Amino acid sequence: MIFNSVSFAGFFLVVFFLYYSPLKGNTKAQNWLLLLSSYFFYGFADWKMVPLLLVATTIIYFLGKALSKSNSDKNSSILTYLGVLTGVGLLVYFKYFNFFIDSFSSLFNAIGLHSNIGSFNIIMPLGISFFTFKLISYVVEIHRGKIEYCKDFVSFSTYIAFFPTILSGPIDKPNTFIPQLQQRRTFDFALAVDGCKQILWGLFQKVVIADNLAAVINDVWGDLPGQSSSTLFLTAILFSIQLYTDFSGYSHMAIGVGKILGIQITKNFNYPFFSRSIDEFWRNWHISLTSWLTEYIFMPLNIKFRNLGKLGIILAIIANMVVVGVWHGPNWTFALFGLYNGLLFIPLIISDSFFEKKKLKPNKYGLPTLKDLSKMIGTFLLITLGLILFRADDIGQAMGYISDIFSNSLFTIPEFEEKFKAVRTVVFIVFFFAIEWKGRLGIYAIDEIVKKWNNPIRWSFYSLLILAIGMFMASDESPFIYFQF
Amino acid sequence: MERSKIFIELTELFIDNLDEEGLVLKDTTTAMEIDGWDSLTHIILVVAIEKHFKIRFTSREIHSWKNVGEMINSIEKKVE
Repeated sequence: MIFNSVSFAGFFLVVFFLYYSPLKGNTKAQNWLLLLSSYFFYGFADWKMVPLLLVATTIIYFLGKALSKSNSDKNSSILTYLGVLTGVGLLVYFKYFNFFIDSFSSLFNAIGLHSNIGSFNIIMPLGISFFTFKLISYVVEIHRGKIEYCKDFVSFSTYIAFFPTILSGPIDKPNTFIPQLQQRRTFDFALAVDGCKQILWGLFQKVVIADNLAAVINDVWGDLPGQSSSTLFLTAILFSIQLYTDFSGYSHMAIGVGKILGIQITKNFNYPFFSRSIDEFWRNWHISLTSWLTEYIFMPLNIKFRNLGKLGIILAIIANMVVVGVWHGPNWTFALFGLYNGLLFIPLIISDSFFEKKKLKPNKYGLPTLKDLSKMIGTFLLITLGLILFRADDIGQAMGYISDIFSNSLFTIPEFEEKFKAVRTVVFIVFFFAIEWKGRLGIYAIDEIVKKWNNPIRWSFYSLLILAIGMFMASDESPFIYFQF
Repeated sequence: MERSKIFIELTELFIDNLDEEGLVLKDTTTAMEIDGWDSLTHIILVVAIEKHFKIRFTSREIHSWKNVGEMINSIEKKVE
């Protein structure tokens, strides 16, 4: 059941009605409803994994309780290690176990030792990369003394399983999420309208841009031999935009749904394609994941290596970025994607530009200056190059793709099977980025823009977006890219 | 060392390392309130504080600070 489907709309309407009508003002009952509907939502996607989610949640809940009562640093550290091990163990077993076996088998075979260890039939639970990070974050935050343990099992379980975010994030921290569940929630009209606008903008990104791009891009990736360099180059650029609009679209919808229920979910994207450097890009892309990793991987490593100066920062960043890559899945392409991005930080750290955070100042026409624009394009192309690894099935395919970009046919006109669809989508992309640029100071682009318009213009604009969404809404559900992670 | 003296010396370290002239710290000041105080400059600050006061923090101490006041508590304990 995905956000852009009729089944989700029906499910959400029922939750909404119960939440604000019979249960209005009853915080405990509302939390029960959120918990049950979250488990229903999760079970609808994969009912076999519901017991796993419940057991993992229960273990961490009791570990948190024990942590709060531990009276020595040593006990607290042991319990925290146990909690982290539970989360990491689940992730490694369900997501990476077969990958390790395959990699070891290949290694043994390569050095002449015959290995007959087969793969195991392990099904990866949906959303495991997201909910295990929440479980880990909960025990570590208690250990660090940043939060008290959550006495109410229902609130804690709702935090872990909250249906708008369980499958693909954003990864909320317990510090900001759990207290909201303990507050009284009545229907807030302004917040609900804000949520609806954010859902509308998310839907536009997903349905009008990402899904249309998917068709064009999949055609090319499905038939790589014989594609011209210019087609490959443009497809790589379009894939960066597809990934962004797909995931940012999903995140906006999740945040919007949260707002309607009176719950603020953490921001996930901050106009990353207007970034002028790699470090700025990673501060603005998948923010909930990068801040999680900054907090629990980069910072501890940076603290450990703090006397090594810049070398310490470089080592911490590279380790952090490799984890960012590997988090996406059990494939060497993701590890290399992370390493590549980590290496891109080195010149920035050495030249000190990593430590400078200059605000973006547009020129007198409200556009980026030529210097900023060239930096934005440069950053975008570096990221796009890395995302070829992200999209490829294996490293060989990615390397072949990259080397095929550099030939004389780079200066020919790109060829797509569905020319009309490609051109139409490019027009929508131009429209999309114009709106994003104009509204870049807002939490989401259209929020900032529509504030300055009068009612007729605002409603015409909404109608235009709804019309475009209606035109392209597929009859069958098109899943989000990040569901697979 | 007196808390007020630590406060003055810590403020100078903040001004030097965050490049924030005229910065005024309070016990309740948090990273959210100071523009240049992020995860990266935080570690730079920690190294500067350790060098200046000739002390060494544990990782857990560094992670547990919620504001400037808690930072000063840790320094105070170590320079006594």
